[in-house]
Amino acid sequence: MFNRNIKPEKFKDAETVIGASIKVKGNFNGQGNIIIEGILEGSLKTDANIFIGEKAKVVANIEANDLIIHGDVRGNLKVKNYLSLGATAKINGDIQFGTLSVEKGAVINGQLSSNGEVGKKEAKESEKAKLSDEE
Amino acid sequence: MHVYIYDDYLNRGRYNKTVNRMEIRLTDLGLNGKIIRLSGIKNIRGTIQNEIKLGAKTIVAVGNNQTVNKIIGAIIEADIYGDFQKNTLLGIVPIGPDNSIASSFGIKNEEQACNILLARRIKKIDLGLIGSYYFLNEARIESLGTKINFADYSIEAQERGEIRIINLLSDRSNTIKSNPHDGLLDILIKTKKGGETLLRAKNFSLINERYNLLLDGVVEVKTPNEVKVVSNRINVIVGKDRSFD
Repeated sequence: MFNRNIKPEKFKDAETVIGASIKVKGNFNGQGNIIIEGILEGSLKTDANIFIGEKAKVVANIEANDLIIHGDVRGNLKVKNYLSLGATAKINGDIQFGTLSVEKGAVINGQLSSNGEVGKKEAKESEKAKLSDEE
Repeated sequence: MHVYIYDDYLNRGRYNKTVNRMEIRLTDLGLNGKIIRLSGIKNIRGTIQNEIKLGAKTIVAVGNNQTVNKIIGAIIEADIYGDFQKNTLLGIVPIGPDNSIASSFGIKNEEQACNILLARRIKKIDLGLIGSYYFLNEARIESLGTKINFADYSIEAQERGEIRIINLLSDRSNTIKSNPHDGLLDILIKTKKGGETLLRAKNFSLINERYNLLLDGVVEVKTPNEVKVVSNRINVIVGKDRSFD
């Protein structure tokens, strides 16, 4: 409970890991899950999920399916599904998300907006359920 | 036809018994063939390519990683013998230390190697290529001062450690799973404080002004240099206990 940097199970076999002593510059486009513990400057994009560790420093716009942040991020975030901000997260930038979880202590400087994807999905599912009930 | 390439160091007295034992076993199994001793040969590549041209179907490196590295380029780079090289197989009989390549193929010693040559289990695998030098297992370089440039981004390590560019791991006990059929190289960076970094890529360039790359533990290559993977480039004879599927 007190270890905030525990990675979710899905990151244990991450395709790409950037360690704490590594600096990445440029447009980093991955395909699988990505873990960032070091420094990244540029942009960061994947169709899968990204985990940003407590000591990581990211100056980049980020696009991902799920995004878990415990470090320092300067840039706009575009998260299709789930965004989680840990207690040590510092965000300077606008955020677009599906669903959002913010732990006490997280700092956000920017605008928050929901992309409505999750809402749309839920509405579709409840509509389907209604239709099948009627039938 | 089998052609056996004996490395220089096998002339030393301490390897006589092992070599004799191997030769007897090969004869028993009906696998004897032409023997070429590398000592005294200046143009190794030309000699091996000539054997391929004359119809050698299997080139067997008798020695260690260095022996394999010496002959691998000759087997696959002979474009003028394109029709012949398609059928050329690489076999290994490990003798002495520094035999991680043989280990990755599941070959532990000379006796087992003879049985594996007889069983003729064939796998097609990728090769790493740095400049004009091929490697089967991995290339290593100091991490501090090394910059790796990919098409859209670059990475640099901020402290001392080691960068390993892996095509095929020599054992299964490692934390990463390398696959010599996936058309990718694994880049593993381990630093003292910074933990592990893992990336996969087809091609990139690498520069370190102070240190050289070491390929398969035997060949030193200067940087800057281009690094790439050559997919399914060589047919190898492997054992059941190999480190890949």
